[in-house]
Amino acid sequence: MQKSILIVEDEFLIAMDLKYTLEGHGWSVMGPVASVEEALRLLDGELPTVALLDVNLGRELVSPVAEALKSRNVPFALASAYDRPEQVGGAILDGVPNVGKPTGERRLLSVLAQLMPS
Amino acid sequence: MNTEDLYRLLRTGHVQAQGVVDTVSDPLLVLDDSLRVQSASRSFFETFKVDRYETIGQRIYELGNGQWDIPELRRLLMDVIPKSSAVINYQIDHEFPDLGPRTMLVTARTLHHPDRGSRSMLMTIVDATDRFRESVAKDVVFGELRHRMKNLLGVAQSIARQTTTEGRSAEEYRDDFLGRFGALVEAQDMAFAEAGDLGLKAVFERILAPYTINPDAVEIAAGPAIELDSRAIMSLSLVLHELATNAVKYGALSVPEGRVRVSWRIEADNLRIAWVERGGPPVSEPETTGYGSKLIQHATTYSLGGQVEQAYAAGGFEAEIVIPLGKAFLPG
Repeated sequence: MQKSILIVEDEFLIAMDLKYTLEGHGWSVMGPVASVEEALRLLDGELPTVALLDVNLGRELVSPVAEALKSRNVPFALASAYDRPEQVGGAILDGVPNVGKPTGERRLLSVLAQLMPS
Repeated sequence: MNTEDLYRLLRTGHVQAQGVVDTVSDPLLVLDDSLRVQSASRSFFETFKVDRYETIGQRIYELGNGQWDIPELRRLLMDVIPKSSAVINYQIDHEFPDLGPRTMLVTARTLHHPDRGSRSMLMTIVDATDRFRESVAKDVVFGELRHRMKNLLGVAQSIARQTTTEGRSAEEYRDDFLGRFGALVEAQDMAFAEAGDLGLKAVFERILAPYTINPDAVEIAAGPAIELDSRAIMSLSLVLHELATNAVKYGALSVPEGRVRVSWRIEADNLRIAWVERGGPPVSEPETTGYGSKLIQHATTYSLGGQVEQAYAAGGFEAEIVIPLGKAFLPG
């Protein structure tokens, strides 16, 4: 089965980049989507293997998506410019790996590899 | 005069000096052995809104109906100061009945009078509440700035990574990247330099300025006033840049007699932007979609919630961008 990833990122250029970069490495990408509402709608349809979340979506925080992923046992990582994302997005982001922003390709791939269920 | 100067003065015997005490700009108390106020500076009375009669001769804990009866201050006066000869900028947070919650910095120094065998204490109390508040507010602003800066670098990185390399020379890649980077820089400048939202016309003029060396080549037709938020400015700037560079490479702006006309109107709660090229060489739809056309597509749909149609008409290339009016685009 092909590994799939949900991308939630409001900045279109970064969203495009993550999508094309990950597709180039064999991932099937769900989204990207720019809002909590769209992300939750996608998750109601099917569950990805893992997810990659921006924290600050401009007009809202990604935390409800993190809650939904946790309750459905989908592992996720953050791609956030914040040094301490949990201070912004709340306890649900405690201890969640952050690939950072700007996002290095190597770091991104290795963090995602570690998320994969063995 | 500061506490140190006063300390030196008092040591050498000029104890009489209420006048000297008043020269200290910070609120200052001189306390005797039993922590009664011997003297207080004018700034003490002014800052804490008390008068001389209710202050002099009182024990510090009784001042102002006991508002200085602060456990932390007691500990400082009873334990800390006797052991060390001076305390500098000791922070005390306390809710004062009249002043509300304040952050005070206490500096104290014990003063021995060898001939009288007695001790007194000089104590300045600086209200640092506003300074602390400003510093917290500054931290928030710096944090936000840092976040914004990293995001912007993230965007620049994305453009660098996705700008096409296949079949391009290093120079071509560099020029493509720098063109997009330049549009990003212009957009940032517009988004944050101006107070409030910026008009659509100004964005067109700024982004298309490099293409108007021939003043007739690009016409920006007047339309209704529209204001854009920072996200809309960035997305639209990048789209305009792509359209303009395409026109220079393949379309109307590749020949001296070619013309581009940009216009916009509002129709049924939608903003409709039209880009029309005339007088250029015949155009045809490219066989593959490069990063540029994906960028135009995503900026319009993903970022602006609109649609874009591109037509390779006989007379020249045309694009129409339709964006719902809302938060990002407001009729001015």
